[in-house]
Amino acid sequence: MLRLNTVQNNTRLSTQELLLTIGAAVERGETDFYIEASGQHDIGGPLWNRDGGKLTFRVVNPGQRVGCMCMANTEILVEGSAPADVGWLNAGGRIVVSGDAGDTAGHCAAAGVIYIGGSAGARSGSLMKHDPLYEAPEFWVLEHVGSFSFEFMGGGKAVVCGHNCQDMPSVLGERPCVGMVGGVVYVRGPVSQLRPDVRLSRLNDEDIAWLAGGMEQFLAAVNRADLRDSLRVWGQWRKITALAYEERAHGRAVSLAEFRAGQWVGGGIFSDVFSDDFRVNGLLARGDYRLRAPVWENALHAAPCEFSCPASIPSQRRFNLLREGRVDEACRLVLDFTPFPGSVCGAVCPNPCMESCTRAGVDHPVLIGGLGSLSANIRVEKEAAPSGRHVGIIGGGVGGLTAAWQLARMGHAVTVYEADRVMGGKLEQVIPRQRLNRHVLRGELQRIEDMGVTFVTDCAVDAEKFGELRKGHDALIVATGGHVPRIFPWPGHERITAGIDFLKAVNRGEKPEVPENVIVIGCGNAGMDAAAGAYAMGARRVVCIDVQKPAAFAHEIAHIQGLGGKLLWPVRTREITDKGLITEDGVLIPGEMVIITIGEAPDISYIGEEVKKFRDWLIPGEDMSILEGVFAVGDVIKPGLLVHAIGSGRQAALAADAWLRGEKYVPEAKKAVAGERLRTASFARCHGCDLPRPQDDFARCVSCGTCRDCKMCLKSCPEQAIERKDLEKGGFEYLSDPERCIGCGICAGVCPCGVWAMQANWDMS
Amino acid sequence: MESVTTQDVTRNDFPWKISYHPERCTMCGSCTAACTFNAIAPVMARRDLTVSRKSFPEPVREHMARPVIAQKNDVDNACVGCGMCEKVCPNQAIAPVRNPDSRFPLLARAQGPVKRGGRTNLNAQRTLDSIIVGRISQMTDPSLDSERHTFDIRSPLGRVLKADELPFRVEGDNLVLTGATPPVHWIYPAIFSDMSIGALSTRAWEALALATACLNEKHDMPVRMCSGEGGMPIKLLESPQLKYVILQIASGHFGWNRIIKALPKMKTDPAGVLIKIGQGAKPGDGGLLPAAKVAPHIQAIRGVPKADLLSPPNHQGLYSIEESVQKMHLSLNAAFGFRIPVAIKCAASATSVSVYNNLLRDPYKICGGFFIDGIQGGTGAANEVSLDHTGHPVVSKLRDCYLAAVMQGLQGQIPLWAGGGIGMTGNAAADVFKMLCLGANGVIMAKILIQLLGCVGNERGRCNACSTGKCPTGICTQDPRLVRRLDIDRGAENIVRYMLAFDSELRKLLAPVGNSSLPVGRSDALVSTDKAVADKLGIQYAC
Repeated sequence: MLRLNTVQNNTRLSTQELLLTIGAAVERGETDFYIEASGQHDIGGPLWNRDGGKLTFRVVNPGQRVGCMCMANTEILVEGSAPADVGWLNAGGRIVVSGDAGDTAGHCAAAGVIYIGGSAGARSGSLMKHDPLYEAPEFWVLEHVGSFSFEFMGGGKAVVCGHNCQDMPSVLGERPCVGMVGGVVYVRGPVSQLRPDVRLSRLNDEDIAWLAGGMEQFLAAVNRADLRDSLRVWGQWRKITALAYEERAHGRAVSLAEFRAGQWVGGGIFSDVFSDDFRVNGLLARGDYRLRAPVWENALHAAPCEFSCPASIPSQRRFNLLREGRVDEACRLVLDFTPFPGSVCGAVCPNPCMESCTRAGVDHPVLIGGLGSLSANIRVEKEAAPSGRHVGIIGGGVGGLTAAWQLARMGHAVTVYEADRVMGGKLEQVIPRQRLNRHVLRGELQRIEDMGVTFVTDCAVDAEKFGELRKGHDALIVATGGHVPRIFPWPGHERITAGIDFLKAVNRGEKPEVPENVIVIGCGNAGMDAAAGAYAMGARRVVCIDVQKPAAFAHEIAHIQGLGGKLLWPVRTREITDKGLITEDGVLIPGEMVIITIGEAPDISYIGEEVKKFRDWLIPGEDMSILEGVFAVGDVIKPGLLVHAIGSGRQAALAADAWLRGEKYVPEAKKAVAGERLRTASFARCHGCDLPRPQDDFARCVSCGTCRDCKMCLKSCPEQAIERKDLEKGGFEYLSDPERCIGCGICAGVCPCGVWAMQANWDMS
Repeated sequence: MESVTTQDVTRNDFPWKISYHPERCTMCGSCTAACTFNAIAPVMARRDLTVSRKSFPEPVREHMARPVIAQKNDVDNACVGCGMCEKVCPNQAIAPVRNPDSRFPLLARAQGPVKRGGRTNLNAQRTLDSIIVGRISQMTDPSLDSERHTFDIRSPLGRVLKADELPFRVEGDNLVLTGATPPVHWIYPAIFSDMSIGALSTRAWEALALATACLNEKHDMPVRMCSGEGGMPIKLLESPQLKYVILQIASGHFGWNRIIKALPKMKTDPAGVLIKIGQGAKPGDGGLLPAAKVAPHIQAIRGVPKADLLSPPNHQGLYSIEESVQKMHLSLNAAFGFRIPVAIKCAASATSVSVYNNLLRDPYKICGGFFIDGIQGGTGAANEVSLDHTGHPVVSKLRDCYLAAVMQGLQGQIPLWAGGGIGMTGNAAADVFKMLCLGANGVIMAKILIQLLGCVGNERGRCNACSTGKCPTGICTQDPRLVRRLDIDRGAENIVRYMLAFDSELRKLLAPVGNSSLPVGRSDALVSTDKAVADKLGIQYAC
């Protein structure tokens, strides 16, 4: 036994001196120590006897960390109390403190036994662990522990007996067992609220057996065997264990679906104003939930050819019929719109249809003009029964004759009164013969007559005659055209020859005399006709002038230039002399003859009554009427192309027919198909290839706005939503099944004709 | 020959160009079907070529046309970059790509002023990002364990009285309350900030309310949500879960008829009332709900027909902050029996400190909080010029307000709540911690919530089409078709999970500074790597 008194002669051994002294003694083989300490730290460890003997320390008044890192086979008995860190990192020693222990007693102990005969301070037992190679550490406290005890405890066994402190709010202080993950704390007495990751439960038999055994030794060690009975009331005990790793929440959020179903306003908080089943759609949806839906807008819009044709001839339909092999129907169709497909469409018409043809942007317009010629000799039967009504038509030009043709086909009796000796108007009188085959014209006039139209020629109409005709017919159509030349009052204007009179004379075969040099004022198509006429009558040089860029078609201009003619513009006329024309700049353009072709005005003086006019022209109402039962057609309304007169002739016929039947005439509204809807990429460009015959040009026709039945949509639809159905009454339709369609728009994207349109799905709100 | 002129608008002029790989595309139609902006469409593309396949030049013209997906060229259908096409494409054949050469700001304005949602695009640089939590307690004042220790993460909403102002009388050893004290609610330091019914879809708004309730009832996080100025659903007004909602009254006063009518049927008081004077994203401008979003149920809740709903820029009839305290605060306190806190929200501005000082002098003690919203705040539909060019950074303004109160010894009495861009970088907890240290009692956050619901918008011009009614995620639209795209449970769950992570990250910042309660005003915990920021905010400069 080595007794060490740490204070001698008023001198205190330092911790270092004391520990070195103890170490040297242990090294010498000393095993028993009695240490009268004076606050020296770290007494009792880590020390070991070389021969494996047991070390015993009896200590009074130790400093902090008594028994720290204490080894197995070491026993430390503290008489009285010990400050902080009793048995810190205890590695196997038996440490007994008969009084109280300070804070963090048993801190990080991983083996051995620590007995405290009083209470222990804050954070006691924190971070205790259990090394599985050794017995679990034990930490016994007779009374209570301070706050934060057993914090982060990872193993071992702690026992807090709660002796004499059953009135305390908590024998474990505040916030015990925070972060505890292992081990067990047996406790007798009140415990403050525990964190949810530990469990407070009753003892089982095994716990009781262990506690009962251990209690005997503990009480014996701290000399309190007298408490044996009071502490062995096992019903007063509980144990605190940590939830197993698997039992912990690990940041798991509650299922919101369950929360909504169980603890939320039923049906949702907006269910009174907005119906919602809370189902979720993906980015793709069908039926009502598609963003957009396709619509098969077949023939809803006019093709550019139809739209730009003043007579609204739907050539795309003709080509579609040809594609289907229905050649007769294709040829007949045009006659619903004009009786002059051969003379006008196929010959003299500048064909605005072809100019606007979508195909023109690809390579060459579809051969619509030529298609007209195919219908020149087609015969059609009169389908309608006689109406018993008689319509008179004043003027046997294309406008009047178109009206006559339409009205006759509708079953009305029709008589056309023509001032000239032959029917045909400007086709007959003005259009140069080389531009129009007379046989074609005769044939088409004959077709009109064959439809039952009565032709009356040499019948000039004056006011009196007009009155007479009004009385004699149920309706009257005014189609006398424009024949009064417009001439400006330049000095010398009396020298000017009117182009229309000149061309009429040529066509009548009068062979008007023409000098060597001819000047034509006006470079429209009529000007080119006059120039051509002048050359035909023997002129050597023709100069055509205009104040603006020549309006004649390029091929007409090229024809005149080919004959040697010159076109000058902009040129303004100052005067006409016997030498020729003097321009505003004072330049003389030599010429012995000046022909003017700047337009003609109508002569409507025969209409005795007041009618609405703009300058020389009539202004009909929306129903084409200028008077009750009198309708106007063609150049009496506005100067235009032959096909304009044909268009207005048809409209006037429809208007007159409606009027005769007491119905209101509503002009057809044409909507052009939008160019961006058409997909011309599917058509190969015709690279220097030969164009087909007009009747074979259906493959090139885009069929703008009208389904060409190509099945591109049907075969491209990724959802197989499109179906083609034959209709009972003939024809077919394409349908998109909303239950399959996702609204992707591929049908509209691949449709060459622009028939499929994507529309916003119906407004669901 | 293509007919294109230099002035024609093409996809090259747009902020987003569609990158498309036809060789990967099978024309399944998914991308075009999913695009709410109708920005892409299938078309036929000509693939004609003259080729020569012999060993000598022998031209053969080959024709092929194939369908492709093409971006539309018109401004009205310009791609916004939301990327739904990319998301839905099974073959990675299509995606929007940001176009650095965009001329869109010019082109779009040629058709009128630009309106958009989202947050400011020009002022996205953030003061908070130059601030670091620089004081880490180690030895001197021990830090806490963020995961295992308990923290008191609560902030006041309501007027807090000074100790000597409390109406207490000493009776023996006890203090006895002798008069009424203003209501104060101790709530989580993040309020889900006012996004209106109307701005948000029914599902999006309900998801926020649902997440709020779940955080309260299942996760012990007393988060409050502010209704926004679009009124309240009657069913929620009559539900016990009303207690999590702060009602907003703004200059448009939308929906208050239904709120007032529901008073007798309320099972509980709401969490408070927030008087909105202005918002950071478009200060000086009132709320704006474009007609495209004024669906029948919005018309019903708000009591107005379909039209562009413009809240006046100011509360008509209020001409000063004193009058606001008198009229708005008093009336709204009175309406709920002086039982709930009534706070006020203003856009951060050069005058914020004056306003706060005025509120602090309120003799009636009925102002329960001062909310300031900075320029980085969000909006559903603002004029872009307001969004990008008006407003005030919130950080220094918050600091100024806090220090003004400190100078008078009045800090903490009218809680300061600040927001505008909180969580912009994804980490709201760090933002909140810094704001708390600078003097905020809590923060308000909004856009991050819809981003958690699935919003793909950002500060670099992606999507931000909240004003169009065509929100591809069903969040900022009233179109039932698009609303159906939003999974309310999944959205709400994302918010709940984020808030749980937020909570643990906030602890991770609280623990090192050794605070187990909120470190309001603990600016010693912060350092800035920007000298100017450090000087302005009165925090340490470090580099």
